[in-house]
Amino acid sequence: MRDMIVSELTQAMQELARGFAHFLPRLIVMLIIAFVGWVIAYILKVVLRAILRLAQFDKLSESAGAAHLLTQAALPSSTELLSRFGFWVAWLGFLLLGVSVLGIAGLQEHISNFFLFLPRLFVALVIVFFGLLAASFFSRAALLAAVNANLPSPRLLSLSIRTIIIVFVLSMVFEELGVGEQTMLVTFGTAFGAVMLGFAIAFGLGGQRLAQRFLERRFLPGTKEEKEDELPPL
Amino acid sequence: MTLNNDVLWYKDAVIYQVHVRSFYDKNGDGVGDFQGLAEKLDYLQDLGINAIWLMPFFPSPLRDDGYDIADYRSVHPAYGTLEDFQAFLAAAHERDIRVIIEMVLNHTSDQHPWFQESRSSPDNPRRDWYVWGATDTGYKGTRIIFVDTEMSNWAWDPVSKSYYWHRFFSHQPDLNYDNPSVREEMWNVMKFWLEMGVDGFRLDAVPYLVEREGTSCENLPETHAILKELRSKLDEQFPGRMLLAEANQWPADLRPYFGDGDEFHMAFHFPLMPRMFMGLKLEDRKPITEILQQTPEIPAGCQWCMFLRNHDELTLEMVTDAERDYMYDMYAEEKSMRLNVGIRRRLAPLLDNDRRRIELMNGMLMSLPGTPIIYYGDEIGMGDNIDLGDRNGVRTPMQWTGGWNGGFSAAEPEKLSLPLILHPVYGYPAVNVLAQKRSEHSLLSWMQHIVSVRRSTPVFGSGTIEFLYPANHRILAYVRQLGKETILVVNNLSGAAQAVELDLRQYKGNILIEMSGRNIFPRVGDLPYLLTMGPYQFYWFRLRRI
Amino acid sequence: MAEESVLRDDFLRQLISVGEVDILVGLATHNNAKTVGPVVKAIQAGILTYFPRERAAIINADGGSRDGTPDLVTRVSIDDARPAGNLRTLRTLHSISTHYGNGPSGSALRTILAAAELLRAKACAVISPESVNIEPDWISRLLRPIYNENFDLVLPLYRRHKFEGLLMRNVIYPMTRSLYGCRIREPYATEFGFSGRLGSDFVNRDIWSHEMARSGPELPLTVAAMTGGYRLYQSFLGTKAPMDRGSNDLVPALRHTVGALFWSLQPNFAVWSASPNSQPVPTVGPESEVALEPVRVNRKRLRDAFLTGVAELDPVFRSILSPSTLAELQQIAGRSEDDFRYPAELWVKTVYEFAVSYHKSVMSRDHIIQALAPLYRGRMFSFLAENRNGSAEDIEHNIETLCGEFERLRPYLLKMWNGGE
Repeated sequence: MRDMIVSELTQAMQELARGFAHFLPRLIVMLIIAFVGWVIAYILKVVLRAILRLAQFDKLSESAGAAHLLTQAALPSSTELLSRFGFWVAWLGFLLLGVSVLGIAGLQEHISNFFLFLPRLFVALVIVFFGLLAASFFSRAALLAAVNANLPSPRLLSLSIRTIIIVFVLSMVFEELGVGEQTMLVTFGTAFGAVMLGFAIAFGLGGQRLAQRFLERRFLPGTKEEKEDELPPL
Repeated sequence: MTLNNDVLWYKDAVIYQVHVRSFYDKNGDGVGDFQGLAEKLDYLQDLGINAIWLMPFFPSPLRDDGYDIADYRSVHPAYGTLEDFQAFLAAAHERDIRVIIEMVLNHTSDQHPWFQESRSSPDNPRRDWYVWGATDTGYKGTRIIFVDTEMSNWAWDPVSKSYYWHRFFSHQPDLNYDNPSVREEMWNVMKFWLEMGVDGFRLDAVPYLVEREGTSCENLPETHAILKELRSKLDEQFPGRMLLAEANQWPADLRPYFGDGDEFHMAFHFPLMPRMFMGLKLEDRKPITEILQQTPEIPAGCQWCMFLRNHDELTLEMVTDAERDYMYDMYAEEKSMRLNVGIRRRLAPLLDNDRRRIELMNGMLMSLPGTPIIYYGDEIGMGDNIDLGDRNGVRTPMQWTGGWNGGFSAAEPEKLSLPLILHPVYGYPAVNVLAQKRSEHSLLSWMQHIVSVRRSTPVFGSGTIEFLYPANHRILAYVRQLGKETILVVNNLSGAAQAVELDLRQYKGNILIEMSGRNIFPRVGDLPYLLTMGPYQFYWFRLRRI
Repeated sequence: MAEESVLRDDFLRQLISVGEVDILVGLATHNNAKTVGPVVKAIQAGILTYFPRERAAIINADGGSRDGTPDLVTRVSIDDARPAGNLRTLRTLHSISTHYGNGPSGSALRTILAAAELLRAKACAVISPESVNIEPDWISRLLRPIYNENFDLVLPLYRRHKFEGLLMRNVIYPMTRSLYGCRIREPYATEFGFSGRLGSDFVNRDIWSHEMARSGPELPLTVAAMTGGYRLYQSFLGTKAPMDRGSNDLVPALRHTVGALFWSLQPNFAVWSASPNSQPVPTVGPESEVALEPVRVNRKRLRDAFLTGVAELDPVFRSILSPSTLAELQQIAGRSEDDFRYPAELWVKTVYEFAVSYHKSVMSRDHIIQALAPLYRGRMFSFLAENRNGSAEDIEHNIETLCGEFERLRPYLLKMWNGGE
């Protein structure tokens, strides 16, 4: 009995040792891959940063208004952000590659799924980035135009535009990611419809005069306008 | 006589204007003479001209360079004898060169025997040969021509104690053409020379022959009647001889002097000349095309006489005030260069001795419609001497060599009628015939060449003109046409290279042959014909359909 | 980037025909048939009267008019192919036209500048096709100082109503004066003269790819002259014609003037940071002649616009203005109509902070310019209130004080410009 236990233990130990001996090189390989991956990713980051700086990407995003957005979100500059993103994606890729070397059953599939998912994730992130940019830009443009044109409730207008754009962006993102497509579609449809209805009602009731004024100005050039306050600035 | 019988010879002529006194002194007395002129006929033949216009050579007190004639039937003794003149005339005709002489109809010298008789007594039969007045108030509407020297057109004669009429200097009393015997006598004078063989007259100051109260006393119908009478007598008795009018008038006012081809054969185109200088300075063809647009058609047998410079000042009477000011500022900066209403300078100094501009101006002279006149000395680029009074600055002796007196005379320099030019650039050591004869590239050689090209075709003398109006206004372009022959002339009035597109569609299919070097240019197609022109460059193209 | 050609081929051919000129008058048009006729006639008369001997050309850069504007302009040509009746002129006068494409209006000036350079014009003038009260002697006033006295830029002076051109008097004049040291009353003008030297320097600058230069290059031209060591001159032209309303709308006006001025600060940092003292410019005619007759102004709307702006644009202003300035603005927004004052110092700080934000691109630069509009209206309200009964001297004094403020606060601008915020 005891011998049996001993022999079983020994056997188990041996198997464990064998298994470990079998596993150890893979682990080492994985670590090596992780390390090499880190180095490559780091180089990638440096190179990416250099290229972006050379291309004056900061200026580009500055004029697009993205820089301000990032500052507001307490994020580093867009160049830094993009190069860091590149670093993490690359290193993560290497890590997963390393893990797959371990040959753990089931993990393989998930990892390959992850790799398939990666481009979509990237696209989604880009959409979010530019979507937020667009939302911010257009809402501000609407706000300024409304204030300068003396339209009522400029902020509401601006907020509505921002909301619509964000909802639209989110729906695109989720569609891209393939998460709850149907749900999102319905949600978006409902939200968009609600906002539009709101607008329709608001304009119908409150904008009647505005619309009338607009039409008059457009099609009846003879109509005298109250323009006394507009002293010629130049 | 070897002259051809072409009665329209003046249309294809190239005339050389010369002053006997300043051309060549054969006898060494310091004054040019007919023997000298005859000796230089070979030079003129080489130049290629085929007519000579002589300035007055009659006996005269020479107070107006011979235009104050004291005897119409003789030669001033300083220039030789009547026989010398006849010998010269025969020699010229031998070389197929015609001779045009001056005929001053309007006035005589106050030294003329006619005037001496006329002033001697109110009862003298010749009293009526001049225009006398008891007061100086007649013909009030008449302008004064020599504004720099004369205050009135009337002058007081202390001998006969009355006023006489004169349009020019007060020593040049006007003849009275209302008197038939004056008219008769003047025709006799002309006949005298015609019988001797002269080929034509330049009639001086023709607009002023007759005076009528209440008019400007210029261009009067009575004057035209007298001229027509002269012409009919000329045609009747001396066919093939020519009358050239000197009438400094606008083209429209000049037109009547051609009559219906029954008055003058030729007339000077005075307004064109200042405008050629103006166009060149402005680098703009507008002044030239405009005056030619305003120039009326003339009868078939008639011809314009064209010149760049002559023995008088460059007259600015036929320009607007703004144009005159411009001309003065551009061409006569120094006040001493101005005289009366004009500029007393020669061609080369006017054009800053710029060979390209001199060539361009001569090129236009030779290619615009009319008979060109070359003023003696301008073919070698002689200068002027503005320190000499009146117009003598442009009448200095011809510069033949770089030697003694420029080869003009063997006399002591002090004895010369006018001093030679000694200017470092224009003086006779630098500018003379001998030196230029020896160089293929001299102005003289070039002039010979251009005259021969001009004379190679009758188109320039008799052809029609049609202006092209390329958008580039620095380019003056026109087409001359006679029968089947067509010549395209393109002048660049600018001192910079120019590109020009010519609309030659109506000549599509023709090849352009440059007349000077006889090179072929591309065929005219549907597209605008593109030419590039160097500074002040000009082309004469013969259009040929081959 | 490949250099796009400003000049079309057919226009180039016309330019070849025009050749070198001494005098060039440029006219940027777009559907101006109503007014352009008398304007070009006056230009023609001016050229013939004051420059009869000079080679001259009128260059029309047209933005695609459909009302026959270019024909009206080219009709004043004088040449021998079409004799001009009783007009006796020495030389040909070319009047040519080109379509400058669908670009912004700045392309018109660029076309004129490029033509002037190609034609080697010595003195050029630009005239607005809407200046119906133009006199022929404008040509002389704008061009003579350049042609005869070697000045490089001649800017106009106008007789104006005291409440006209307030943007010029409240921002552009004082700010250019204090930053660039030239006391030019109308740095942004619809009529001006420039030398060939300045024109060709400016047209060859690397600025035309920028939106700012393409939409409103007039002020940058003035600034280029001020900062480039060129000689400036002011000529009195008389009463300014009432401009077309479109070009006088506040926001486009701000873009062309304030925007261009802000934009010019960065390349010219070395000039204005060196604290130049402002110098008077040689001038002919009265420097500031004002008409005083009362005008009806809806001041309430100005104030309303200001109040709405301050309330609604708060998030925008937070990015542009410093907290203290914003707080002050909010404070004056809270005052009653009678107590409302937008003091000079606060106004100058506002403008300078906008300029710095523009430099730092804290947001779309166009949005920054737009955001200034309500504040400008507030300042207008205050200016009108202060000067309602003011005489010409009073107004002049006030403007002088404002200029002093702009000069005094220049270190403030410099500090913020260099600040790392």
